[in-house]
Amino acid sequence: MPHDLVIVGAGPAALSAAIYTCREDIDTLLFEKGAIGGLAAVTDWVDNYPGFEKGISGLDLAEQMRRQAERFGAKIELGEVQRIEDQGKLKKLTTTEGDIYAKAVLIATGSDYKKIGVPGEKEYYARGVHYCATCDGAFYRDKRLVVVGGGNSAVQESMFLTKFASHIDILVRSKLRASDVLIKELEKHKDKITIHLATTTDEIIGSGGKVTKVIGTDTATGKKVEFPTDGVFVFVGLMPNTKFLEGSNIQVDEVGLIKSDPKLMTNVPGIFVAGDVRSGATLQIASATGEGATAALMIRKYLEDLEREG
Amino acid sequence: MPKNITIYTTDTCSYCPMVKQYLKSKGLSYDEVNLEKHPERQDEVFKMSGALTVPVTIVTQQDDSQEVVVGYNLSRLAPAIA
Repeated sequence: MPHDLVIVGAGPAALSAAIYTCREDIDTLLFEKGAIGGLAAVTDWVDNYPGFEKGISGLDLAEQMRRQAERFGAKIELGEVQRIEDQGKLKKLTTTEGDIYAKAVLIATGSDYKKIGVPGEKEYYARGVHYCATCDGAFYRDKRLVVVGGGNSAVQESMFLTKFASHIDILVRSKLRASDVLIKELEKHKDKITIHLATTTDEIIGSGGKVTKVIGTDTATGKKVEFPTDGVFVFVGLMPNTKFLEGSNIQVDEVGLIKSDPKLMTNVPGIFVAGDVRSGATLQIASATGEGATAALMIRKYLEDLEREG
Repeated sequence: MPKNITIYTTDTCSYCPMVKQYLKSKGLSYDEVNLEKHPERQDEVFKMSGALTVPVTIVTQQDDSQEVVVGYNLSRLAPAIA
């Protein structure tokens, strides 16, 4: 028996959509290969999601979304969707748990951490190079750290890491792109954080199986610079989780984000997209949940039209 | 059914509660080592897992063989606890 809707992913966009569809008795199955709540779940603190005047931890926010979706009957299965095939009125999803069929699909797979792409990064992954501060920061109590990146995540997570590290050097390729409110808050940590603008990260060097320094370039002078460090945390952006769509006819843009029309439908009728993986998304938890809700309403209309056609 | 399951965690680790919840959903009990409360055991988990990260789940089978699962990795954890 096909599901009415299968949602690929269980982050904020997916959970928001599921709340809406399940409340309307649309049989909804979510398929998640990683952590429920997506990247929101590993964000230290969320201060700009409406409704939480004092802010909330990413984990708590994700957990509340999950419980809310499940309260209305959403089922979350743990596994990976490997392929989506359009069979007209039905969509076939090939997954690690077997083949499943749905009348409509919502792709809400979000994104993953981008790598810098420098020597040493892969070799020392999880042994000195990290992408998740809440996961791994505790290993660096009283140690020196380098943070690579100049956006909101780099600044936010650097401030979080001051709970553990003795000192943090932030390497910013050009200038800080973080929001003004975060940059202002960063000032309070100037005893522990040094920002190096116009500084590229060129190589991560280690010895005895552990990271010992980062080599970069001061692009203003062209000189090489070295930063002794015990660990490197990388926050240089996100890349969409759309590799599983390779070979499908779902259109993506030049960076792999999924294209959609104003109704959040892809070029394939019955396959919708919402959240960070959508081309044009604004990469905020608030906008992801908004898109999830919008997609749910579009999907409801699609399913009604499908039933009318018979 | 495993003989013993030990999870290494920290207070700020977001994936750690997910592993614990997954094991609870399977009716399995586990021992927990919080590496912030016991930093002296960080080297021990690094030697076993080769990684400075949590969660690390050590599943000891009835024959005393061990499976080390780093992170929230259900594709490895599920068969290890089966």
